[in-house]
Amino acid sequence: MSHFVIIIRASVYVLIFFALLILLYIVLRRIYQQVNDKRFNLRYVRIEEGLLNVLSTPGPESAVRLAEEYKRFPDVLTKLLLDYAKLLSGPEREQLKIIFRIALEKKSLRDLRSRRTIRRLRATRLLGFFIDPLKMGSMLKLLEDKPIVRLAAVQAISQLSTPETLGLVFQAFESDLCPNIHSYISIILSLGAKAEVNIHEALKKPISQEKIALLIELVGAIPLRSLYPDILSFADHPEKEVRIKVARALGGLSIPDSVPVLIRLASDRAWEVQAQAVKGLGRLKSPEALDILAEAFFSKNWHVRFNARSGLMSLGEAGVKRLEELSQQTRDSYAAAMAAMALHDLYLSCEQMNP
Amino acid sequence: MIGLLSVLFHIFSYLVLIYFLLLNGFYIFFMALSFFGISRYRHRTEYVRMEEIFLSPLAKPISIIAPAYNEENSIVESVRNLLSLEYPQYEVIVVNDGSTDATLKKLIEAFSLKKTQWVFRKVVDHKPVLGIYVCPANPKLIVVDKLNGKKADAMNAGLNIAHYPLFCAVDSDCLIDRDCLLKVVRPFLEDPERTAGVGGIVRLINGCTVKSGQVTRIRLPRNILARFQTLEYFRAFLGGRIGMSLVKSILIISGAFGVFRKDLILKCGGYRPASIGEDLDLVVRLRKYLHDHKIPYTIHFLPDPICWTEVPETLRALRKQRNRWHRGLIEAFMYSRRMIFNPRYGVTGLFAMPFYLIFELFGPLIELLGYAIFIFCLLFRLVDYPFAFIFFLLSVALGTLLSVAALLLEEFSLRRFPRTSDVLLMAVYCILENIFYRQYLAFVRGKAFIDYFRGKKEWGAMDKKGFSAEIPCP
Repeated sequence: MSHFVIIIRASVYVLIFFALLILLYIVLRRIYQQVNDKRFNLRYVRIEEGLLNVLSTPGPESAVRLAEEYKRFPDVLTKLLLDYAKLLSGPEREQLKIIFRIALEKKSLRDLRSRRTIRRLRATRLLGFFIDPLKMGSMLKLLEDKPIVRLAAVQAISQLSTPETLGLVFQAFESDLCPNIHSYISIILSLGAKAEVNIHEALKKPISQEKIALLIELVGAIPLRSLYPDILSFADHPEKEVRIKVARALGGLSIPDSVPVLIRLASDRAWEVQAQAVKGLGRLKSPEALDILAEAFFSKNWHVRFNARSGLMSLGEAGVKRLEELSQQTRDSYAAAMAAMALHDLYLSCEQMNP
Repeated sequence: MIGLLSVLFHIFSYLVLIYFLLLNGFYIFFMALSFFGISRYRHRTEYVRMEEIFLSPLAKPISIIAPAYNEENSIVESVRNLLSLEYPQYEVIVVNDGSTDATLKKLIEAFSLKKTQWVFRKVVDHKPVLGIYVCPANPKLIVVDKLNGKKADAMNAGLNIAHYPLFCAVDSDCLIDRDCLLKVVRPFLEDPERTAGVGGIVRLINGCTVKSGQVTRIRLPRNILARFQTLEYFRAFLGGRIGMSLVKSILIISGAFGVFRKDLILKCGGYRPASIGEDLDLVVRLRKYLHDHKIPYTIHFLPDPICWTEVPETLRALRKQRNRWHRGLIEAFMYSRRMIFNPRYGVTGLFAMPFYLIFELFGPLIELLGYAIFIFCLLFRLVDYPFAFIFFLLSVALGTLLSVAALLLEEFSLRRFPRTSDVLLMAVYCILENIFYRQYLAFVRGKAFIDYFRGKKEWGAMDKKGFSAEIPCP
């Protein structure tokens, strides 16, 4: 027992020692951090002054000089370049690129292959702003990286919207057997109208149905009106998911010619397609859709009824008249309640505009 | 007979010792993991730009659901705080859960609310809705007035009315940091397929300064009980939950602040109206659903998104709160008991649930039993005084070390106490809390077993001061 007591007593001393050590560490760390932050900020201000001079001086010489002088402080330089890259574009950004190429590019490209996530992340952020688009291939591999790096890579690639990078992105997308759909959506959506030609070509290729659905969705989301004929051919696709995307995309494109197609899709066998088609018809504000939208109020599905409500609300006087009829009918209480809700919302918004 | 008692006494002493060592061993392990987790999070988020998340077309809209019951003192300030958050698209649904005070009236007056004739899809069950109000000047705000049915029921009503694919459960008596949603949505952007829920740190608002619905100065509370709870929250959130989330074992995302995918929550039936600890119950059932349907998932706990809450400053209020929390724990475990030690549920069934069962659920009972036996031994002079004293010192030293380690974690977190004197003062409380506070909590939590089996359903609301009347800083 006495040994046991000795062990416990020793443990008490050890624990107290560690507790005191932690406290001491906290205090010392605070002091160290204050000194360190002060030093970092001083360097930052000094380099920033130099950078402002570089930005106001034409020609690359001053940028080269600054990069050579301060490349021994990569952390400060990284922060400064990232802070300024967001604010600058055009020739000023070119000056930053020169500094980056001399001081940080080699390290960043090496860091892309690092085992440490933080290094890959830092490199991705920097390269997103300053990499030569031709070297972007190395960043596509990051789309399969850890989520935090992947998101940074997506953001970086979206900033590099040259024809070369677009080609590389679509090549990777088409050949990828198991693509990370969300990453590609982010990239292509951020590229916007620049991706039009590539999407047009990709839709003609024999790619998987999942990829087709994604591209159709993007046509509507960007939106790319010139690709309207391309997606029409998928309106009768056997897969429900593709038809849903077509209905949604047609709604997003808001092309009056698509009303007959949407009317057809509004009576599709799948309620998801119906809901999207009704929503699209509402967006188009076409009087031809009045009857279809009113009929959709009697759907068994809440989503279809809800989307029909938005549709009739957007159709002005004719829509209000139809909503009144629907709210007064007794055939279907759900349809009546939805119509009453729409009328009340319209009343509230009118009251807000004319108090 | 005395011989038999003596043998039983020794066996029990060794069991208590093993329990004590295991419990503290796990705590130290989780603290070490948390240390790693917080450092990693700090470094990685250095290169994450919030404005990019704000501008991202993929940042999913969020419905904030805030159930409110008799919150007339703080509700307007809380809603203003929620309406001022930085996020591209969100709505705030305040569910007035049959308040008996002027909560609804204050909301109607402050935001010029108008009653609507909204109809909604009742996917999950709840008590009848008496009215839905909207704010014509700010369409982001929706107020639902319903019959009282407790927090889980109110959350279900909010879920039915929510328009967006993600929802954020918040307590209406809390304040959240302005960029909180941007930070908490990041895992949903990074890994949209697998991320099922994300929780954030809850910290004490007592003693802090609030301006325009935001915490502007962090200070220690003046109240002694609140200071003890400060340490407790550090240990629980910075030490426990971050550590447990790293081994995929987190079972609680605090009801005060957590974001979930609405589709998954609706698929597992929403909140269970009968549950007392609805936050734990929801996460456990969510894990069960995802395991049963073999859906790969992750539940994150981030050290950065911060929700500020007011904690009880009287023993009576603290007793009520902790009693309810423990009854909630018992109730959730009784409901999901089939998951415990069940290999089908992976880490959740084989580690997380047994850990909570043995150390959280039965912890206070074992602790109380230890005290009872000690008193018994004192009465019958069976105590070896030097040994008892040194063992007591050991438990105090270990408790102190864990609390000081929690202070270290706070030091690494992103919103630490600015004054070093506050940290040193908290170090004193690390020792003091071992003298009365811990024993009191063990008693309160132990009593929760009796209350639970007696069928007590009382919520145990505490009297809130509200944010405009916060305690001035020392």
